[in-house]
Amino acid sequence: MPSIEVGDKRIELNEEGFLLNHEEWGREVAETLAREEEGLEVLTDDHWKVVSYIRDYYLEKNLAPMIRRLCQNTGFQLRYIYELFPSGPAKGACKIAGLPKPDGCV
Amino acid sequence: MREHGTTSQRMPLEGDAPLEGGAGRLTPEELRRSLQIFREKLSSDEVAYINSCVRCGLCADSCHYYLAEPQTECIPAYKLGLVTGVFKMYFGSVGKVFPRWMGARRLDRQTLEAWVDSLFGRCTLCGRCSLNCSVGLDVTRLIRLARSTLVSVGLVPRGLQSTVDTALQKGNNMGIPRQEWVETVEWLEQELRGELNDERARLPLDVQGARLLCTVNPREPMFFPLSIVAAGKILHAAGESWTFSSENYDVTNYGLFSGDDDAARVMAERLVESMERLGCETLVLAECGHGFNSNRWKGPQWLRKRYGFEVRSILEVVADYVREGRIKLDPSLNPDLVTLHDPCNLVRLGGVVEDQRYLLERSSLHFVEMVPNREKNFCCGGGGGQLSMSEFSERRLSAGKIKAEQIRATGARVVAAPCHNCIDQISELNKHYKLGVETKTVCEVVAAALVTEG
Repeated sequence: MPSIEVGDKRIELNEEGFLLNHEEWGREVAETLAREEEGLEVLTDDHWKVVSYIRDYYLEKNLAPMIRRLCQNTGFQLRYIYELFPSGPAKGACKIAGLPKPDGCV
Repeated sequence: MREHGTTSQRMPLEGDAPLEGGAGRLTPEELRRSLQIFREKLSSDEVAYINSCVRCGLCADSCHYYLAEPQTECIPAYKLGLVTGVFKMYFGSVGKVFPRWMGARRLDRQTLEAWVDSLFGRCTLCGRCSLNCSVGLDVTRLIRLARSTLVSVGLVPRGLQSTVDTALQKGNNMGIPRQEWVETVEWLEQELRGELNDERARLPLDVQGARLLCTVNPREPMFFPLSIVAAGKILHAAGESWTFSSENYDVTNYGLFSGDDDAARVMAERLVESMERLGCETLVLAECGHGFNSNRWKGPQWLRKRYGFEVRSILEVVADYVREGRIKLDPSLNPDLVTLHDPCNLVRLGGVVEDQRYLLERSSLHFVEMVPNREKNFCCGGGGGQLSMSEFSERRLSAGKIKAEQIRATGARVVAAPCHNCIDQISELNKHYKLGVETKTVCEVVAAALVTEG
């Protein structure tokens, strides 16, 4: 099983790089996932705005937010979100926010 | 809901080799049931297929798994042999007496484990092996039948089963609540109006008696809605009478992949219900390969009835608009080199072959075919439910090498793929193999070339 090292902790991922246990998520975990899984060396404030919204929404609803909510709540244009996360909202942003892999064609 | 096999539930019985997956927990009663279900599902056609494979091996070079990793386990005839061997052991007269000679094998925990690993983990149900088969076997049909047997004992890989379960429980395969879908359509309608600078542009919902009922793949409203706006632009430009439904709008049917005919029937019936409720003439299937095969061809078989309406791919509808002069295209608006991926379930197994080419040739300046193409095209590697099964993701990317090489050889900057499942896989191949391409639906390419009035 793949894993990442964060501090002195080993955190397990599934075969596609999603956290196995979403409760192990934290700021450093997000940064490590961004770097190692998505090739994003730095998470800017705009990245964090998206990631934090997804994370909070998931903790409340146990569901990833629709792209509409993401755009409306961050004030970002759709195309800008794809620029921020080149692997897209599911395999990019949701993964970094520590969500499990969504069902369906993603 | 069904229980899923996990390693933690594994209870190897005496005499078993250690098993990695969930088959170890099966009781002798469940094993007997799997054999009974396997036999019940076999029609006389399929029994004839089982006795026909002559192991000539011509299928090997047709399979993207074998081409990417030339080993015995990847040869279609080998995978098929795992299935036919069981039949020969129990139901063939010679196999019962001379099991080794006939390649017969018991349907025990090891065999079921091998089925999961091979039939789910090394096959995309793309059907390309049947093209090369010297005796014309429908390999995909037999492999799906064995997957059905695995459904009956709860051995479908977790991510694939979860996608089926979500669709059954929530009405669509990503679990989108009704209100979220409705609000997303309203939001996209505003985007559409903004882009067209036309307040009359609409994404209509629940319009009784509209000519067309359009569907979507849930990943569009969830994460990738630009394809909905693109289709909306084209339908608006053609002055079409159409609607979405506020419920039962999901074109996907993962029961086709898992082999679960009962689940597949429920999902197919939902679109029929939407058609009947809204009284539309034509059910229009979004750009989704397996959704096309499921609803155009398999649906009437699952429901055992003729549909009282027409079922078409949106590509066929849009190609008609161009032929009839209802929309005008300016290819110079798409100056980049464009190539086309042929989704197996739409093209080889679905029969929609030329309309996507007709559209791309008229909406882009430079269109180039992959080699091979049309019904001979290679699977992207993401079919058969592969995208949902994380445990096989490494093999999926490795087997996608053939598609990546095909794309690279065209030199194209844009890959048009009329299937959201293929789009996701090709996007991953793009990243993994550094192809430097953009992947779009055919409607996105066409919409970019639309000449709008004023």
